[in-house]
Amino acid sequence: MTAAPDILAEAILISQGAEAAIYQAILHQSPSSEATPVFLKYRFNKQYRHPTLDASLTRSRIAGEARAVLKCLRNGVHVPGIRLVDASQGILGFEWIEGKSIRMLLGGGAEGEEETEYTADLLEDEDAVDSPEDELQSLYGLTPDVLMAMIGTEIGKMHLADVIHGDLTTSNMMLRRMFSTASSSTVELVLVDFGLAYTSTLVEDKAVDLYVLERAFASTHPDSEPLFATVLQAYGKTMGKEWANINRRLDDVRLRGRKRSMVG
Amino acid sequence: MPGRLRKISPLKNPDRPYYALGLEGSANKLGAGVIKHDVDGSSTVLSNVRHTHMTPPGEGFLPRDTAQHHRTWALKVIEDAVKQAGISMHDVDCICYTKGPGMGAPLVSVALVARTLSLLYDKPLVGVNHCVGHIEMGRVVTGAQNPVVLYVSGGNSQVIAYSKQRYRIFGETLDIAVGNCLDRFARVINLSNDPFPGYNIEQEAKKGKRLLPLPYTTKGMDVSLSGILTAAEAYTQDKRYRADAQPTLDEDIITPADLCFSLQETVFAMLVEITERAMAHIGSKEVLIVGGVGSNERLQQMMGTMAEERGGRVFATDERFCIDNGIMIAQAGLLSYRMGDTTPMPKSTCTQRFRTDEVYVAWRA
Repeated sequence: MTAAPDILAEAILISQGAEAAIYQAILHQSPSSEATPVFLKYRFNKQYRHPTLDASLTRSRIAGEARAVLKCLRNGVHVPGIRLVDASQGILGFEWIEGKSIRMLLGGGAEGEEETEYTADLLEDEDAVDSPEDELQSLYGLTPDVLMAMIGTEIGKMHLADVIHGDLTTSNMMLRRMFSTASSSTVELVLVDFGLAYTSTLVEDKAVDLYVLERAFASTHPDSEPLFATVLQAYGKTMGKEWANINRRLDDVRLRGRKRSMVG
Repeated sequence: MPGRLRKISPLKNPDRPYYALGLEGSANKLGAGVIKHDVDGSSTVLSNVRHTHMTPPGEGFLPRDTAQHHRTWALKVIEDAVKQAGISMHDVDCICYTKGPGMGAPLVSVALVARTLSLLYDKPLVGVNHCVGHIEMGRVVTGAQNPVVLYVSGGNSQVIAYSKQRYRIFGETLDIAVGNCLDRFARVINLSNDPFPGYNIEQEAKKGKRLLPLPYTTKGMDVSLSGILTAAEAYTQDKRYRADAQPTLDEDIITPADLCFSLQETVFAMLVEITERAMAHIGSKEVLIVGGVGSNERLQQMMGTMAEERGGRVFATDERFCIDNGIMIAQAGLLSYRMGDTTPMPKSTCTQRFRTDEVYVAWRA
């Protein structure tokens, strides 16, 4: 029981969100083994919440996230492996993924930059830095179209396992290089952050999951419509005969918009 | 960084004092108030009169009776407001009324009064969105610059942030409003509607000792509350429920106070959570709580704790400005009037559905 907080004490804080703090820590599998970095997600106590309520929420959310990731792993979806679960302390440890988020690779900027949205017109005339597409090509040897197809396939695999991500954005996807032998390597797309994930077989939930991603694309990557079409194409291929229903529902969801008109 | 590049407000200081009369009657409160915008840019509340349509314990307010109440009290309330303000109806620059959202019948009866006054004194009308009224009143009373707004009342529950001339809704309730949830529960356990059910729930909750498990339903930025109400109601049918007992931890019993306590703790934790998410998303450190439920001190306290953890602060107002009132309509209406916006007579309708983000906020940078 004391292991998890100890790890936290030595960990390096990477970022702090509303829900959890993210750390990089070092895990020793055995005294002799090599040190491996892990990714720690610590759902800290919320002082404003009643302690009983807070404890039970943290516990169920950690367990839920771990369960969703495990289900993905079992079904061959590329997700980070689980290294540590301490539900009562609110700590979840994942395999460290070395790579970049799709958001960065598509030139969407780092997360959190959208808060300066309204000053965008002032930044416009700044010199464009290295084109992100070049980086995609030189680092990973991928064209945007291939990348989009990978995204669609991965989400399709996840939905076939009846896992709904709940927060699909390009910041929650990463590219990593896998070395099978010393000389050859493959690139794979990894889905991360299952903090809002749940299990559902409903067409509605899957369509909404896609809609969330579509909105995220539109808001962070302007003029990404053709790109998103490629995502859907690959997704449809993976989903097989389920796709027709989801596609129809996705059209409905788009019309509906996120917000209904309020009464009263 | 937000705030580093503060844009210049499009609202110029007035060349003379402006006065506005605001009329509100979207639910069971009838309110009238007069606000003054002075040449130095300051706003002064000259009067804020309110009369509430009361119903006996266990009963809610019905549209027809509420409209009847507003018709009966309209003249008295407006007369008092103008008299207390120490001005004459001829000094008023514009007459502001609630265009929506709200209950149809009460809205219509107050809009009729507004139109009549407009013709009688030859004053322009300004139709105001009720939610925007709450936000603008909260801003002027607390001095919060660009806060994330939690608007919680009997009819609405929304997390709002301003961006590019709109109050954008980040999250909201998917079914019933928080105030509605609390009011209806107050009816189930037969609490008084005087001064308002939420106040009596708050007082009961202070006595509560036991936290009973209730559903906790946040969905991303949104919340769902109807299931919680059902679950809380179900406890009153429980074998352990004692309607008249004092809360205690020694015996395994459930009292109304325990239920009020559990309901508040659960529902408010959900609201604070989605507010925090919105704050993290837009990088704001200020929260403003408006709407009737916003006068609940436990909610203010929880929000304060959250804001403190984030190095920010919370702004809240007391029941004079939290609960529906005429002055907030006057404030929002006068802002839009000073930007040259009025509602011509043929368009002076009201609507039960009027979303916060439909309003073009011309007066903010």
